[in-house]
Amino acid sequence: MAGKSGRTISATPEKALRKAVLSWEGMLLVLFVVVNIFCKCISPVYTFTNVLREMPKYLTEIFLLFPMAYILLMGEIDISVGSIVCLAATISCIAGNAGVPFIGVLAIGLLTGTVCGMINGLLTVKFRELPTMIITLGTQIVFRGIAEIVLGDGGSISLSNADGFRAIAGKIGPFPYMFFIVLLCAVIFTVIAEKRVFGRGLYAIGSNSRTAFYSGIRVNRMLFTAYTVMGLMAGVSALFLTSATYGANTTTGKGFEMDAIAMAVFGGISTAGGKGKLIGGIISAFIIVCLRVGLGQINMNPQVILIILGALLICAVLLPNIVQSINMRKASKAKA
Amino acid sequence: MEKKSLWKKITGSREASLVIVLVVLCIVVTIKSPAFMSVQNIMEILKNNAVIMIMSLGMLCVLLIGGIDISITSTLAFAGMTIGMMYKYSVIGSTFLGFVIATAMGAVCGFIIGLIIAYGKVMPIIATMGFMYIYRGLAYLVAQDQWAGADALGSFKDFALNNTLGFGVLNNVIVVAVVCYIIFFVILKWTKFGRSIYAVGSNAEAAEISGINVAAIKTAVYTIMGTLAGLSGALATSVYASAQPNMQTSKEMDVIAACVIGGVSMNGGRGSVAGALLGALVLSVIAKALPLVGINAIAQNTVKGVIIVVVIVLNVLTQRMMDKANLEKREM
Repeated sequence: MAGKSGRTISATPEKALRKAVLSWEGMLLVLFVVVNIFCKCISPVYTFTNVLREMPKYLTEIFLLFPMAYILLMGEIDISVGSIVCLAATISCIAGNAGVPFIGVLAIGLLTGTVCGMINGLLTVKFRELPTMIITLGTQIVFRGIAEIVLGDGGSISLSNADGFRAIAGKIGPFPYMFFIVLLCAVIFTVIAEKRVFGRGLYAIGSNSRTAFYSGIRVNRMLFTAYTVMGLMAGVSALFLTSATYGANTTTGKGFEMDAIAMAVFGGISTAGGKGKLIGGIISAFIIVCLRVGLGQINMNPQVILIILGALLICAVLLPNIVQSINMRKASKAKA
Repeated sequence: MEKKSLWKKITGSREASLVIVLVVLCIVVTIKSPAFMSVQNIMEILKNNAVIMIMSLGMLCVLLIGGIDISITSTLAFAGMTIGMMYKYSVIGSTFLGFVIATAMGAVCGFIIGLIIAYGKVMPIIATMGFMYIYRGLAYLVAQDQWAGADALGSFKDFALNNTLGFGVLNNVIVVAVVCYIIFFVILKWTKFGRSIYAVGSNAEAAEISGINVAAIKTAVYTIMGTLAGLSGALATSVYASAQPNMQTSKEMDVIAACVIGGVSMNGGRGSVAGALLGALVLSVIAKALPLVGINAIAQNTVKGVIIVVVIVLNVLTQRMMDKANLEKREM
């Protein structure tokens, strides 16, 4: 029966469970459990409350994952988000120090991100001939450059009054507020991707942008929306980052775009567009967070963690390809 | 076929218009600050940007086959850091050996990336992103929280100060860059291998059918990129007289930008050695010129970014105009 998505056609219903486990998302869930057991074994302090306490450090990047997944699904990319985070954090810190009430600071942070996203979106839509990689490479340099100008010679700013930011870094029981907001975003973005017209459009554009256009999908409008949302979420990420660091500097958010892309790709979302599920990205994000917390607890060199993450990322794409090519070779031999 | 007028040739060719941009840029800066046009200053610019210029060649090849490589500065740091540590602990002493080791390391790093992209069918951006983490991490591991300073490097840093290879006129580093450019110009223009690179980038399927081993070409191109990155690692260590694990971080974007300004297409198949050279030169002249014309050093990145965006947008607009003009001509 064809699934509602129209992408997966499972042959017989009795194989559904096997299929679910063998799917990429199923394997990720298994890996999630394995990683947690592994961390528990290597680190005696790897407890539920400890993990939750250390999580906020790594959670901020997950906000970027959701819109990044949308953009990747459309076959585009955005490598300017780290710079948007930097600019939004800088501007909101300056606003906070200038005595703007906290609610205004939040609005300014979100607005900065959104405007940056809109600029990306506008350039993308107006100049469709250009690969988005190169557009966002340009804006990446510009956005961080503006932050550098605003920050001036010192290159950093710290909040004089961090009360408001301390409030949003608060907790309910052991759960930080951010955890709930991440979950809320996860639900909203997943529902839109799986059940709404907009989400189905993402897959259509990613599979074949021209066909999608001729079948009545407003490709340009969707691209613009996705990039704007990307900017907005970068603003959200910047605000939560500021609530943990009470300041900003010229290296704030550096490499966030790569981490967000890595989470999505590890979760099975293809950078070529049209393939993958957001839920996979979310599971892989939490795998990476747990791994970082666990390895951080045993004081592993952060550079070694980077090597492990890089190797995981490549294996996540390489292994399915190898399996597929072996299967194809077998099939062609069977035919012969 | 009608002969093109000289004016059309100049405006039609990407390289010629870049030369004009470069000349105008130099004239404007020289009027503001006459010291800019001195031989010493120009040599200084060339020497300090040799690393970017050399890596632009590799990036040109990578972009020509429709790929991308963002791991190059990590490879550079890994190779540079390794020989830096070798000099520090007197494992090796000769300058030549340092260059050989760094270049060989780069070649191996690039070869691994090439295998994974060509035979593992991993998207270039993902594969090189992974290796960006891996090689940078390895550079930190090699460093072990240390760095190699000027004293540790000993005679190796003299390479960037001497003119022995350039017959007393040109700095050694510039000679290396010039030699690289000559080699690549010949390879890309007149050898079978060079033309296959263009063929793969224009249409990989057609290239495969016409008997080109696409996977082998891809592997070779990433190996070349790695080799140049390794060579640049040795050069950077010598020029800056220090090896640090975070050297040249995020400069890969400058290299890509140099190629894009030089008219190399990100979709593959289009671009030239001259374009890559001019793109790198424009970027380095701008970086040097901004403080001379009174723009604060803090604003440099913004100006650079704006220039990149403006250049690519102008490129699209002229292309559109040309397409439109061609259509109108056909209707006549």
